[in-house]
Formats: sequence, structure tokens, C-alpha cells
Amino acid sequence: MSMVSLTIDGKMVSVPEGKTILEAAQQTGIDIPTLCFHKRLPPIGSCNMCIVEIKGRPGPVTSCNTPVEEGLDVATQSDALHAQRVINLKKILLHHALDCPVCDRAGECDLQNIVYKFGITDVAFEPRAQKRDDAYATSLIRYWPERCILCRRCVTACQSIKGIGAIDIIGEGDEARLVPVAADKCKSCGECLSVCPTGALTENLSRRKGRPWMGKRVKTTCGYCGCGCQLELSALENRVIGVHTETDDGVNQGSLCVKGRFGYEFIGDENRLKTPLIKENGQFREASWEEALDYTAKRLSAIKDQFGPDSIAGLTSARCTNEENFLFQKFMRAVIGTNSVDHCARL
Amino acid sequence: MTESKTITLNMGPHHPATHGVLRLIVELDGETIVKATPHIGYLHRGIEKIAESKLFQQVIPLTDRLDYSAASANNIGYCIAAEKLLGLEVPKRAQYLRVIMAEFARIMGHHLWIGTHALDIGAMTVIFYAFRDREMIMDINEEIAGYRLTPTFFRIGGVAQDTTSEFIKKVRAFVKWFPKAMEGYHTLLTKNKIWTTRTMNIGKISAEEAVNYGLTGPSLRGSGVAYDVRKAFPYSSYEDFDFQIPVGENGDVYDRYLVRMEEFKQSINIISQAIENLPEGPVQTDSPWITNPRTVDVQNDISALIRRFMMHTKGPAAPKGEVYAAVEGAKGELGFYLVGDGTEHPYRLKIRSSCFYLASALPRLLVGHMVADAIAIIGSLDVVLGEIDR
Repeated sequence: MSMVSLTIDGKMVSVPEGKTILEAAQQTGIDIPTLCFHKRLPPIGSCNMCIVEIKGRPGPVTSCNTPVEEGLDVATQSDALHAQRVINLKKILLHHALDCPVCDRAGECDLQNIVYKFGITDVAFEPRAQKRDDAYATSLIRYWPERCILCRRCVTACQSIKGIGAIDIIGEGDEARLVPVAADKCKSCGECLSVCPTGALTENLSRRKGRPWMGKRVKTTCGYCGCGCQLELSALENRVIGVHTETDDGVNQGSLCVKGRFGYEFIGDENRLKTPLIKENGQFREASWEEALDYTAKRLSAIKDQFGPDSIAGLTSARCTNEENFLFQKFMRAVIGTNSVDHCARL
Repeated sequence: MTESKTITLNMGPHHPATHGVLRLIVELDGETIVKATPHIGYLHRGIEKIAESKLFQQVIPLTDRLDYSAASANNIGYCIAAEKLLGLEVPKRAQYLRVIMAEFARIMGHHLWIGTHALDIGAMTVIFYAFRDREMIMDINEEIAGYRLTPTFFRIGGVAQDTTSEFIKKVRAFVKWFPKAMEGYHTLLTKNKIWTTRTMNIGKISAEEAVNYGLTGPSLRGSGVAYDVRKAFPYSSYEDFDFQIPVGENGDVYDRYLVRMEEFKQSINIISQAIENLPEGPVQTDSPWITNPRTVDVQNDISALIRRFMMHTKGPAAPKGEVYAAVEGAKGELGFYLVGDGTEHPYRLKIRSSCFYLASALPRLLVGHMVADAIAIIGSLDVVLGEIDR
């Protein structure tokens, strides 16, 4: 791979061909403000916060989607750039609702962070009256049109990570809004929700469970099936209040399915079984693990002795890990002595 | 041949005359003290450590609880240190308001001192008059800050809110009234034979020794050293005011008493100048990262709402660096050494407590005096354990 040399803020940088100016700057430790840029997504270039000046070219360019070229002389900071960024940010804020106190995202919101970083003191423009539709593809995800900054991260994630394209931004200017263009294709995976920089897309399960910084983040493996997706659970007062995948770890690289993203409330459900139950005279009673295992072993041996091993069949669950499922079939074949073993193969 | 043995007497930490939770172990030969050992730490709350997990502005209420008898005088020191670290300029009007509040705090601290000091020595009347007048300052605190003893009125970059007309009225009334009250204090004590006998030539310390022990504030000035941070290193516009630094001659309990009595007058003099020449203008510095947006903006402007949200949940990050800011507290030089490491929390906050140095001079001051004089000496140093133990 051939290397390209360029100058950023007076520093000589050498990066592989095909990288963007933003990547080259990040590699050098130079901070260029970004908003729509997301490391898991291809560059979007909608927010115009990452603009830089290139010597000898008219006007600033967006650094996130401009590839490096040999001998470029890039300036990331100047008064003109700062003024332009502030204006761009004010335009983005123009239609944003006064929702921080009630927004689930407030506290880990990219928009809040960048506004505070720039110290924006007023939104100098008058917004035009507008009406946006708050429909979304599925009932698991809620769209808050008045919080949306139309950065297109969700649209890009749906297209480039999932390859679905269930949502798109329709209309121009004040009319622009996020629309489920192919609602039937949506799998409710929540990829759009995980990349949303603001609280425009939130889960629709239950709101106001706690501020983001209140929860204790625990890195863990998804308990829903045997795939072993990595995620972070946020727990508050012994209750899971959210799923996060910002670290992009594991085989799933930050993506989850609908069950991993939204199916966490069963963890704290009151109706969950906490002890084994043994049925006596048509009624279940609580038992200890020791008693239940002894009873099961006794009954299995008795049935096997009386009717032979093929009188027993085993059915296991996709909620178990691959290793557990392997052990189960081994148990059925080697201990019980039957090939009658099956798996539900769905969740 | 008779053999003389010393006895060990434990004073405190619950002794009412040790001004809080100071514990003294004194060795007595008869009734004369031959050795005194102060034990501190009964009021340790770990304020310096707590500060490391707080945002910069969340530390302000902790400083109220150092020398709680003069809370605003502590706030100003921390705020100046934080402003130095964050590179903020405080508007003139806020500086004047800070001076007014800090001087009121000094008067409140001295009120507590004169009341309890006299009570310890046996003059009970004084505390009633002192607390009558202290109550008026509490009302002034309540008027402007909402709180009476620990106002937490200062913010990094200014003060919490502007004055009300009621506040100015109350301050003027107090300024007018207080000289009369002072006459009362003097009548009760200054020429009182019992008082002078109990205080003159007790707990003497020379100027040189006082400096060597690190004494500051009225206790140092009682020995004749005219060192006052307000004059030596003026802060918060103290250079604008015309005031004197009273000093004593003998460095005994009586001279320290006289110095503080004069400080009452000087403080009221400063307050009078500040309230009459209060400049117009904002009371908060104009910084988008630290100045609280106006409520009307927060209700109408998303950028103001975001900034308020971020200010109180995340807070401004301090640059890497270290600063020291000292102010003249009610008891002496109160210093704040603050280290920033680029995050929203102080990396380290070290408080230079003036009372700690005063208490460490006790072994030297008590030796050779009677047990009863120990009470007079502790009272004259005016230690507050909230500040020593932190």
C-alpha cells in the first residue's frame, strides 16, 4: 500500500492512500469536531462540522469524506472555520426541541457535548413553523421528530450495516423528515437507535428509567441466545435499564438483533423462575436444586430400566450456549443411550 | 523531703470551652500547666478527598463547612482559586458583593468569638448582645442567599444573584446600628477589671515567635505584625477600600481581644464603602461554559438549555496546572491549593487552614499558665475545628 504525505496544522503526516483527511488528523492526535461522523459508518458529510481549509482551494471542505492527496496543506483551525462551524451548529439547533430535561439521551448526547464544547450562547435564527410526522417502522422504536437533527446516521446504518434500507429522509429543508420507506423490511434491530447522536430515536419500551450516568455499566455477553454477542448492560438499583454497544466489541462488532437490543426486561421480571419446581398432586411446589436433580435422576433411571432408553427423548433450547447444547446431546447419547434428541432451533 | 508529681488532665473533646472538638491533654504541677498536647481529628470529614470527586462548583458548599462561623470568607478563597485555574475574570459588582459578604462573615465569626470567649472566662452577658447582632447578619444572609449560616452565595465567576433593595436596606441599617452595639461590647469588657486581670499578660507570644509558629490573622497581629492578606496581596478589589490593619503590642490575650474589636470597626467601614459605591453591571462573568444562563433563555433557547444541563451534569474542565490562592479568613490566612488535570474534577485540593497553625502553637502558649488561663488562651486564638480537621 502506498503512503501519502500531507501537512495538517503544520505537522507532517504520512497515511495510507485512500484514507480521509479526518482519519489522518485523528491518527496524528489533531482534534477536528464532528457530529454526523460515526466510526462504524461510511462518511456522511451532512453536518459540516468537520470542515477544514486546504491551501490553494476555494472554500472549506468536509474532512470526513475528502481523501488525502500527496502534498496537501490542511488547516483545521482558523477564525473563519470556527465562525462557519458555529453557524452550522446554530442551524442544526434551529428546530431542536427544548427536551433535555425529559430526554432519555440527555447526558450522553453528542449534540449536547458539541454545543457545550463550542459554548453556543444563542440560536440566532427564527425557526419556520413545521410539522413532522412521528411515525416509525416498528412499535419498538420511537421517533421524536422535534429532536431529530437529520444527520442521516440512522439511514446510513440501516443501509450500510444491515443492508436493509427500511428508513430514509424524505423532503427538503424544513419539510425534511425521517420516514419508514419500507416498513415491512424493518427487523427492529435497533441499529439506527444505537448510532443516533441525539434522543431522536429511543426505545419505546418504557422511558425515564434513569439518567445515563446513574447506571453502572457492566460488560457482558447477551443472555438471550447462544451466539454470544458482546454488550454493556446499564444497571440501576439492581435493575437493567439499558443496553449499550458503543465499544464495538466481540463478534457482533456493536450490532445486535431485536432480542439483544430490546429483550432485557425479562431479567428483572417477577414471574421468572428462581427455584426448581416439582409437581405433586397436580400442584407445583418449590424445591432445592439438590432435591430436583436427585428426583430427575431417579425418575430417568427408573424409566430407562423399566421401558428402555428409547422411551426417553430430549429437547433443548436455543437460549443455551453451544457448549451446553453439546453437553446435552452427549448426555442423551452416552448416559441415557438414545438418539432421540432435538433442539427448538428458534428463540 | 517532699516529692512533687505531675497529674495528667484530659480536656475535651466534648468540653464546651474547647470550641468544638479540640482535645487537650495537659500535665499539671499543682494548677500550673507544664505540658500541653492538642489532639485533633475528631471532626475529620475528608473534605479535601471529597472535593476530588466533585465538579468545581460543587466544592463551594464544602468550603462553607470549614470555618462554619464565617462561611462566606471561605467561599471567596476557593472561588478565587478556581477562577485562577479556569482563567476567569469576575465583574466589579460581584467583587464588591463578595467583599460585603466576606466582611459580614468576618463579623459573624468575631461575634461567635467574643460571645464564647467572654462566656468561657465568666462574662455571660456578652454572648446575648453578640448573638443579637449576629442574628441581623444572618437575616441579611438569608435575604440575599436564602441560607443563614452557610450562605454558599458565591459561584465560580461571580455570585449567585444580584442584590435586592431589601438587602441594601438591611445592610445600611446594620452599618448604621453596629457602632452603637460596639460601644456596648466595649462597656462590658474593655475596662472591666475582671476581664483585664484574666486577659492581660496571659498567653504572650512575641512577634518573631508568632511568625515562626505560622500564626496569621488577628492572633498574629496581636503580637504587632501588620500582616493581612487583604493589604499584602489584595484580591477581589480590596485595594479600592480605605481601611486600617489594627495591631497589638504585647501579644497577649488582651491585645488579641483589642485587635478583633478594632477589626469589627474596620469590617463595617469596608462594608459601608462597598455598599455605597456598589458598581453597576453584571454579577456573573460572561463565559458560556460557567455562567448560568438566564431562566427565560433556558425556557426559550435550546443552546441555553443545553448549556445549563451540561454545566450542572458535566461541568467545565480545568486546564492542566496548579494554583494557590490565599484570602484573609476570619481566623487568618486561608489558602486553597488547587490542581487541575484536564478533567471536570479537581485533581487535588489542599486547604491551608489558619486554625491548624493556631492550634499547633497551643503547647507553647499554655506552658506556665494556670488551667483556667488555658481556656482564655484557646478562646483568644479563636480556633474552629471544622477548619483544622477539614
